[in-house]
Amino acid sequence: MDIAVVIKQTPDTEARIVPDSGNTKQIVSDGINFILNPYDEFALEEALTITESSGGEVICFAIGPESSEPAMRTALAMGAARGILITDPGAVDADIVTQGKILAAAIRTVNPGLVLCGREWIDVQEDALAAILGEFLDMPHVMNAARITLNGSQVTVNREVEGATFEITSPLPAVVSCQKGLNEPRYPTLIAIRKSKSKELKMMSSADLGLTSIVPASQIVALEAPPPRAQGKLVTGETDQLVAQSLRWLSDEAKLI
Amino acid sequence: MASIVIWAETRNGSIRKSTLECIGAARTLEPFQGCERVGVLIGDAACADELSRYGLTSIRVVTGEQLRRFSSEGYAGVLAEITREVKGDIVLLGATALGRDIAGRLAARLDGSLGTDIIAIHPDGDGLLIDRPVYSGKLTARVKLVRKPAVLTLRPNTFPAAEAASGQTPVTQADAVTMTIRATVTQALEAARGVLDVTEASIVVSGGRGVGGAEGFKILESLADTLGAAVGASRAAVDSGWITYSHQVGQTGKVVSPVLYIACGISGAIQHFAGMGSAKFIIAINKDPDAPIMKKADFAIVGDLFKVVPVLAEELRKLRTS
Repeated sequence: MDIAVVIKQTPDTEARIVPDSGNTKQIVSDGINFILNPYDEFALEEALTITESSGGEVICFAIGPESSEPAMRTALAMGAARGILITDPGAVDADIVTQGKILAAAIRTVNPGLVLCGREWIDVQEDALAAILGEFLDMPHVMNAARITLNGSQVTVNREVEGATFEITSPLPAVVSCQKGLNEPRYPTLIAIRKSKSKELKMMSSADLGLTSIVPASQIVALEAPPPRAQGKLVTGETDQLVAQSLRWLSDEAKLI
Repeated sequence: MASIVIWAETRNGSIRKSTLECIGAARTLEPFQGCERVGVLIGDAACADELSRYGLTSIRVVTGEQLRRFSSEGYAGVLAEITREVKGDIVLLGATALGRDIAGRLAARLDGSLGTDIIAIHPDGDGLLIDRPVYSGKLTARVKLVRKPAVLTLRPNTFPAAEAASGQTPVTQADAVTMTIRATVTQALEAARGVLDVTEASIVVSGGRGVGGAEGFKILESLADTLGAAVGASRAAVDSGWITYSHQVGQTGKVVSPVLYIACGISGAIQHFAGMGSAKFIIAINKDPDAPIMKKADFAIVGDLFKVVPVLAEELRKLRTS
């Protein structure tokens, strides 16, 4: 069974992000270190573990500018067989519903038995991809998998909802998004990194997939830094004083007691 | 007249606060004035009476064997059907685990737009602009929703919950048509009784490296019990194995927006701040006055959490019982 894994290149979690003053729909990307979206590592690890024990290939899909190649190469170095990167600006700038439609068209070409992605893209803070892909691929989906068990033509997934754990069973093919805790992603070896450079990475456009006119469902009109939190009150002293001051603040300022 | 469809999420036999916040937004926000408010209760009619008190225009209850347990396909199917029927322009859901699970599929099925984890909604001609956090809350994106219907999930604890209104909303009940539902809940394990999830609580007491171990979290639990709060944790505490991942707040954990966040022994790395920076009030307790969290807290206590937290809990307990 081949497994499709959707990945994305995102800024490092430590990165300082500021809107571009000339075009506030975009961020200043100079000086930012880009990485493979952290949750995608769990999806890749899970896909590799499954194919290593039961056969099949792991094929990566991403939407991003050509400069996203390093994240693709990381996935290939981890062990994915090949990758497809969709680079046209219409796709790159599109909203997640439209991107889901484009990714679904690309994934359909390889007819996978399972589709995996990370829980969330940390740049746009979107976690809806699995559900969107499920609908466009006409597959069931499960979000935020903390455990995945394959059993013949079925997959059983454990996921947490507020205060409860659901065990969800679904026939394959299905789309599953992967959560931290699912596994421990591997580090690519030096040899694997070298080999990844010669693995197949196909650059495509939405038009190649038959999607000639992309009409976005929504558009970012501006990015803005939220107002900074003002420096609050700093208190020092003995425990009794600290507690007394805390209680006073809770009642007078926060009005919570 | 435009219609707003609102999914009524229930938990343990009552309507969730996140749903009341959706109704509150539909009733009070400027772009929604004059709209019909259609509440949709799926799977169980038991909460229809409670729901009928919150000023909706109408309530649809849809039940059936296939809807006894949650499924994204089934619930999105029902909401899609009703949205088409009432010509809904907007669908509102709480940005809860299940609300998020439905929203993406529903937006795709309706060929509409999707806005998730919304913190503000503004009018824009006869369309809508929404604000949502991006880049771990380092920026806010203003997004124009081009295509209708717009499926929107609202960040919990952000919009005012609807108050009970006068009069009762009429309720119509229908049986669901047979749908294709493939992924189904085969088992639901409830967490231990009384354990409040960090995303639901209006107060979160959270611990980091400074808590020192699993024993240290007992002290935080005691304060949390007094306050009716949930216990949260930083990644450092979770990775050290002192508390389970379901408590983790931050970029690789959960995003919370409580009224009060009490950070104990947490330095406040940018990744942690991403998960709690939108709390209304932040109290930090830390020995190090220069820890990043101390500059972002509304009330920063320079002190030993092992001394301050038990006394604070004790004093609050006294206040509560007096």
